Amino acid sequence: MSGKANKVVVLPCSGIGKVYGAIARETTYELMERVRPGVVVTICLPLLVIEDPDAKQLVTDNPVITIDGCPKSCAQKSVEAQGVKPARTYQAIGFYKAHKELKPGGIAELDENGRNLAALAADELAQIVDELAAGGQE
Amino acid sequence: MALEVLKVGVVSCSGEAIPGGTVSRIACRKVLDERPGETVTICLPLFIAGGKEERDFAGKYPTITVDGCEKRCAQRSTERLSGKPSKSLLVPEILKKHGIDPPTSLRNLRPEEKAATQVVAEEIARAVDEILEG
Amino acid sequence: MGEFLETTYDKFVFKVKVGFFYSKEDFWASVEGNVALIGVSDFLQKARGDVAFLETAETGTEVKQGQELGKIETIKATFGILSPVSGKVIEVNSDLESSSYLINEDPYGAGWIYRIALRNFDGDRGGLLSAESYFELMKEKIAEEMKKK
Repeated sequence: MSGKANKVVVLPCSGIGKVYGAIARETTYELMERVRPGVVVTICLPLLVIEDPDAKQLVTDNPVITIDGCPKSCAQKSVEAQGVKPARTYQAIGFYKAHKELKPGGIAELDENGRNLAALAADELAQIVDELAAGGQE
Repeated sequence: MALEVLKVGVVSCSGEAIPGGTVSRIACRKVLDERPGETVTICLPLFIAGGKEERDFAGKYPTITVDGCEKRCAQRSTERLSGKPSKSLLVPEILKKHGIDPPTSLRNLRPEEKAATQVVAEEIARAVDEILEG
Repeated sequence: MGEFLETTYDKFVFKVKVGFFYSKEDFWASVEGNVALIGVSDFLQKARGDVAFLETAETGTEVKQGQELGKIETIKATFGILSPVSGKVIEVNSDLESSSYLINEDPYGAGWIYRIALRNFDGDRGGLLSAESYFELMKEKIAEEMKKK
C-alpha cells in the first residue's frame, strides 16, 4: 500500500470478560467521535471472520490500528488472519500502566476513571493516526 | 443419558460499529452479572481467535447468541466453530417486538436507550430460564 | 501422569504442574539441586487477574519461607509475592519488566519470578505441598471463589 490514506481503521477487541476490553472499545469511540472524527473508522471485528467483503476491503485498503484487551490479542490476530499486518498494535493494559492514577472499573460500562483513561489514550494516539492518515510509516 | 443443564454460555456480538452491538454487550453483561451461577460469558473475539476454553465450553454447554444486527456474527461464528446455539436472539427483532425505537448511540446511552437495553436483558434472561428448565 | 493436573470450572481450566512444590498461599517452587525457581500458581493468576505492575526484590535479598518478596498489582488486587522457600535471590526474571503478562500466560514456565539459592530446603519442605495435595486444596479454593459470585 502506498500514497496518502484518508481513513485509519481502529479495531478494538471489545472483549466482554475484562475491563480492558471496554477500555479498548471506548478509546476507539473517543478517536472516532471526538479526537479524529471523519478520519478514524471502525468495523465489527467478527465481520472479518465471517468474511464480510466490505470489512475485508476496509482493512486491506487502509492502515489498521488494533487495540487488544489482553495478551491473547484477538483483534491483532483477526486482522492478521486476513493477510493484513496492522500498522500499530496496542494492549489496553498499557494505557493503564502509563497512567496508574486512573485505575479503571466496569466492563459493560466504564466508570469515570475508565472513561478518562480512554480519553487520554485516544489523545495520545492522535499523532499516530495523523501520521498513518498522511501515508506515513507502517 | 440426559445431562442436567447447570450453566448457559452467553455469546454477545462485539458490535463496535453499531448501536445494536452496544445494546447487546450491555444487556448480556447485565444478565451475566445478575445470574453468575447460571451463566458464563463467552468472549466472542477470543472465541473466534481460537480461545480453547471458550470453544470447549460452547461445545459442551448450551449457548445463547445475542446479535446487534442482521449480519448475526455471534450466531454464525458459534455455528461455525462449535455448533448450533440453543437460542439466537437479535436485538432489532426484540426491540421491534416491544415497540421500542432502535438506539442510535454507540456509547453514553440516553435513558430511552438504557430502557431498550433492559428489555433485551429480560429477553436474554427468559431464554436462559427456558434452557435451564429444559 | 501428564505434565499437569487439570480441573475445569465453567469455561476455565485450572492447572497444577506436576513435580513442583506449592505453598498454601498459591506460590510454586521448582527445585533443582540447591536452586529453586518460584512463581505464582495458575489458580492465583486466574483469581487475581492480568498483572499490570510488578515490584520485585533485588538480587542478593535474603528471604525466609513465607516472607514477602515484592508485590504484584492487577486490576483487581495488590498482593505480596510470598516466597515458598528460604534462601537468597540470585536472579529476577528480567523478561517480566516489559512482559508482565507472562505471569498470566505461562505461570509455570516463562512467567517464573525469582531464582533462589536455597538455604534450608529440608526444613522448608514441611511447609510445602506436593502437586497432588495442592491440586486438592486448589479445588476447594475454586469452589469457595465460585460461591462468592
